Amino acid sequence: MFHGDYDPQTYLEHDQLVADKLRPVPRARLRRGARLGLWALRIFAIVLSAMVIYTFFWQLGH
Amino acid sequence: MSPSRVPVATPALEAAGESAGVLRQPALTPEDAARSRDRFRVHNARTDGRRWYLLWLLVGPGILVMLGENDGPSMISYAASGATYGLGFFLPFILITFVMAVVCQEMCMRVGAVTHRGYGQLVLERFGRLWGWFAAGDLVLTNLVTLIAEFVAIRIGLSYFHVGARVAAPLGVLLVVFTLSGGRYWRWERVVLGMAVFNGLFLLAAILSGPRWGTVGHAVISFSPFPGGSFNTLLLLIASTIGATVTPWMIFFQQSASADKGLTPSDLRHGRYDTVAGGVLAALFGCGALIAGAALFGHGGANIQGLAGAGFPGALAHVSGDTVATLFALGLIEAGAVAVLTISASTGYAVGECIGAPHSLNNSARNAVLFYGANVGAALIAAAIVLIPGVPLLSIALNANVLATVLLPVALVFLIMLARDRELMGQWVNSAATDRIAIAIVAFISLCGAAYAIDSFLGAVHLI
Repeated sequence: MFHGDYDPQTYLEHDQLVADKLRPVPRARLRRGARLGLWALRIFAIVLSAMVIYTFFWQLGH
Repeated sequence: MSPSRVPVATPALEAAGESAGVLRQPALTPEDAARSRDRFRVHNARTDGRRWYLLWLLVGPGILVMLGENDGPSMISYAASGATYGLGFFLPFILITFVMAVVCQEMCMRVGAVTHRGYGQLVLERFGRLWGWFAAGDLVLTNLVTLIAEFVAIRIGLSYFHVGARVAAPLGVLLVVFTLSGGRYWRWERVVLGMAVFNGLFLLAAILSGPRWGTVGHAVISFSPFPGGSFNTLLLLIASTIGATVTPWMIFFQQSASADKGLTPSDLRHGRYDTVAGGVLAALFGCGALIAGAALFGHGGANIQGLAGAGFPGALAHVSGDTVATLFALGLIEAGAVAVLTISASTGYAVGECIGAPHSLNNSARNAVLFYGANVGAALIAAAIVLIPGVPLLSIALNANVLATVLLPVALVFLIMLARDRELMGQWVNSAATDRIAIAIVAFISLCGAAYAIDSFLGAVHLI
């Protein structure tokens, strides 16, 4: 299948190598509005999940 | 054309390498070597101009994620919509949800191909550990619930052939272990793709159930008749239909699988073909389940309640005949089995990425214990729960898609932020049009999920 001149490293991009993927990308610089928006999203998800889970157990009891 | 080895593509990825003083010729791991072999084939196919072979090599994650999401609970949800409301509203609504899914999944594929990193890893590194673990926690919770529903679907399908839960659950776990045993992404992908082909049984069942095609065409064009009945039930079906088409695990899976497969920016066009093909096939097969279920409309279909009793295969046998019922039952087994494999894999990817442990199907189990452990462990836990007598499987299955819908906006918002991050994506960043469409999708899904959750909750606490 593979030719004699096959060099595994040739066919991968630098950042595709496991060694490179282990290096973390830098943190994103978020504006205050974006940070607030993400917190609102987190609260939205937690509150709605709690509602779904409560309703699920309520349905079990009825 | 020269081989695909090129300098680091985008500022963020470049910074990741330079900040740590990365050696430009690091030693190759077995995972690199396996991925390189796949890239070698891609390079040769591209160089030799073998278009169809190139397409064959590059398709996979898109078709798998879409057909994986045509899972047991989804197909039952589609069939329940057809049995309860007929062909009206939900047939075109399914098509719309798959268009939404294609938009979201294209972003996953693109981010994975450009950054070569999975969704969990990028969220964790780019937005901090708290968000990364929040996203992974979301995923593990919804995945466990969904996996339980998948085993229920396998059980229902097998029960039509008089095979019990004690066989269905171990069979599912054995399948996970078998597919993982090769230590190669390529092998895993091809085995699961081969199984996913049988999702087409739902379309065959629909054709053999003898629908009036004029009525089908009218429903697609007109969205009518609009379903009546209780507002809450309608919201449940809308939320679960969305949850049956776009889910958190799909986001984790396709981005991680695209990176694991070794896709690069030069493969983006084929990645889009893969995703669109998956979306079209899944929409066709999903509509097939709805059309097959619609045969029960007016025959007490609304009272089947999804997973209760003999369920759909048994009911279909009376109305549409044994062949349609057998195809539907076999389809449920396939849908559950493929979803167990893909959802378990997404769990493994998420856990490995967030903990920072090796997380690739190109790695051996010995080198990636946590990845393989999470993969098999998730399936094992779900299978064990299914075997517990008296567990409310029906409620779990029906609420799985709704919970996924409620938690989906968080995953989608981070996906959009990643895909429009110029520092990370460089020239492959979202276009303005993609941004607008994606934001509209998140708003729509959030609204539907919130409406159902709030309406049900207020009903439960007797406020409405």
